[in-house]
Amino acid sequence: MTTAFRDDVRTLLEEDSVRSTVADIAAYPPGTEVALLDVYRRLGERGWLAPGWPVEYGGLGLGAVENAIVTEELTRAGIPDDVHVLCVDLVGMFLLHAGTAEQKARHLPALARGERLATVLFSEPEAGSDLAALRTTARRDGTGWRLRGSKIYNLKSQYGDFALCAARTTDSPVAMHGITLFLLPLRAPGVHIEPVPGMANDRFNLVVIDDVRLDDADVVGEPDNGWQLLNDMLQLERTGIDFHAKARRLLDQTIDRAAEQGLLDDPEWAGRLAELDATLRAGHALAWEQVNALAGGHPDPVTSAMAKWYTSEQIRPILNAGTELAGLGAALSAWDGTTDDDGTWEAALRMGPSHRLASGTSEVMLFLIATNGLGLL
Amino acid sequence: MTTTFPATGTGLRDRCAELFCADLAPMLRRLGARDKGAGARAVLHPDDAATREGVWAALADLGAFGDQRQRDLVDLAELAGWALYQSPLTDSWFAAELLTATGDPAYAPILRDLAGGATALAVAMRERPGDEPTEPGPLHRHEHGTVDAIRSVVAFAPDAGHLLLVGTDGGRTLLAVVPATGPGVTLRRHDDIARGDLYTVTVTHGEVVGAVHDITDQYAAALARARLRHAAYLAGSARGAIEVAAQRLRERTAFGQPLARMQALAYRFAALAARTAAVLSSVRAGALAADEGADVRLTGAQVLLLAGVLAQEAAAECVHVHGAHGMTEAGDAQLFYRRAVVDAAWLGRTPSLRREAGRLLAHSRIPPR
Ligand SMILES: Cc1cc2nc3c(=O)[nH]c(=O)nc-3n(C[C@H](O)[C@H](O)[C@H](O)COP(=O)(O)OP(=O)(O)OC[C@H]3O[C@@H](n4cnc5c(N)ncnc54)[C@H](O)[C@@H]3O)c2cc1C
Repeated sequence: MTTAFRDDVRTLLEEDSVRSTVADIAAYPPGTEVALLDVYRRLGERGWLAPGWPVEYGGLGLGAVENAIVTEELTRAGIPDDVHVLCVDLVGMFLLHAGTAEQKARHLPALARGERLATVLFSEPEAGSDLAALRTTARRDGTGWRLRGSKIYNLKSQYGDFALCAARTTDSPVAMHGITLFLLPLRAPGVHIEPVPGMANDRFNLVVIDDVRLDDADVVGEPDNGWQLLNDMLQLERTGIDFHAKARRLLDQTIDRAAEQGLLDDPEWAGRLAELDATLRAGHALAWEQVNALAGGHPDPVTSAMAKWYTSEQIRPILNAGTELAGLGAALSAWDGTTDDDGTWEAALRMGPSHRLASGTSEVMLFLIATNGLGLL
Repeated sequence: MTTTFPATGTGLRDRCAELFCADLAPMLRRLGARDKGAGARAVLHPDDAATREGVWAALADLGAFGDQRQRDLVDLAELAGWALYQSPLTDSWFAAELLTATGDPAYAPILRDLAGGATALAVAMRERPGDEPTEPGPLHRHEHGTVDAIRSVVAFAPDAGHLLLVGTDGGRTLLAVVPATGPGVTLRRHDDIARGDLYTVTVTHGEVVGAVHDITDQYAAALARARLRHAAYLAGSARGAIEVAAQRLRERTAFGQPLARMQALAYRFAALAARTAAVLSSVRAGALAADEGADVRLTGAQVLLLAGVLAQEAAAECVHVHGAHGMTEAGDAQLFYRRAVVDAAWLGRTPSLRREAGRLLAHSRIPPR
């Protein structure tokens, strides 16, 4: 069944029209960002964008395994999956598990069809790893709430319809208490979105929330109980599948380049690439165990932290190997117009540091492993 | 408080320390940086151009281009790396050494201009960006004394009065010097991750200054000394990245305390600092040996190997401990990261250096017959 599902998805992603979309993306003027791609809609029409969701919400009623397959196949096909991760794996999953019936009915089908884009507003200028230090406030206003604060480093908000936003509803001596999750319309008056210039192609945003009024109906989960929800949900997202898929694509590109240069006959290069391949296979196995545990209803927070850490840490050595193969050619960008890879390697280098930071930094993962797993610290 | 490393106190370093100081470093680091995606037609901001000229003239006044010992030059290169000063400095030294090695009097005015800060020089070795400096691209000589060559990733070509075309012909390594703005020379800017000054140079019937020289016997030794200096630059940039990271760790608070108090992070930078100190010591020892006339080909390859890996690692860690802020243009961490990609491969990439050093090491163990 899962093999058949993978075959179906792969067949669709190999269709000429999808391949030409991928080629179009590569030929976009450098720096152009993609949002809701047509291929998302094509997957969505079939219930394949969020296959694990119930049919009534636009899925196929399958499970975590099929969700992971879609993530793998998108990356394998070279289709940017950030929007998919944000809409389905993060915001959609929060709503599926903790949203009201009304919230689910209103948002999930549109997300599953690839017609609506949701983003995540957690990080703030002074609260990243230490998210409980967030300063965005939501104060009671009659039957609703008034939100004020700044959110930073979020992706795709410039294209987003709404966002899952964490705000402090109650001041508490215990920082984890008193946080609430809201659905914030990104086009509402009082929401200001500015770019934060960065080195990667995907733009970071600063979202300033200036006295935006929301209703109780916009609260996800219980007021003041957002921290628990955040921890539970982020752990569900954390299988390592997406990081592994990205690492695999980069390593395959590197191995192809080595083959072109005849370096697979060179024991030094062949050995090095084989070792990287071994770590990736180990990461793949670890990531799939997390997916299967999730599908079986018994996810483990420690091994899922291990999977995120292990898979995301692979990317740097792969980037180093590929860069050493290409020499200064690796440094030339898409804007140079002379590279044989459309500058994709240079773009991957600029994106390189993000993998150890996004979705929980390496140190946060190591903290979880050391404390919950080893009883240390 | 800033990170302290053992001071060496040689004259040139002391003189240049006023230029490469903590107050000016943030400005120097961004000098000449182009916007992302500026492409082939990116121009230097007029203020930047003037400042660049000023810094270059100041370096000449301080004696950076005089008849210096390697031991002094590595100190200055380290300072320049620490300030992430992108310039034709290290290439000009390399070029001057190649010109001097030929003994051609036609080069005397060029060397004089360089010493006075009136010009800079560019060394053009690679035909394709992926080529190695040990294997220069082809150089085609015409009967009437002009040359043809295509060179990519040539640093600061428009700032250079002359381009040194290092090339091969019939198994020999040749040197031809052409005026950078001379007839038959066209330049096109590359757009690269460091967003700096790399150019493709196309020379068609380029008019040669002086003669075309066979430098087969001198090139490897000159490259080895250039590698010592470049390793100093890279280790200096690692030191800069470590200091920028340490500053951020002292300022950024998480979980109720400065990140500087997190041992996992602090120890990582302590280890990087120790590795940097060791690489710099090795560079200085190599420079002293070079000044005594020793063959430093093995040392040059070895220190560059260590320094390239170190600079990239320090830069990546610097970005990492800044968190997402490290990836933004607002901070300097990304400058170290992006430039390390180019700088680390500049005079040979890691696998080739390892191989070359391996060969030289094996060779050095065979007693001469
Ligand atoms: C590509 C990318 C996409 C992102 N997308 C989003 C998004 O869509 N929405 C959103 O809200 N956020 C997003 N983020 C932000 C991300 O969640 C934060 O970068 C992350 O939580 C880390 O926070 P910070 O950047 O503030 O780093 P900091 O918390 O300042 O940490 C700095 C460094 O210190 C380390 N550190 C922190 N605490 C400790 C400790 N106790 N011990 C040891 N080391 C420690 C960290 O690991 C890190 O290396 C994104 C980030 C990236 C890079």
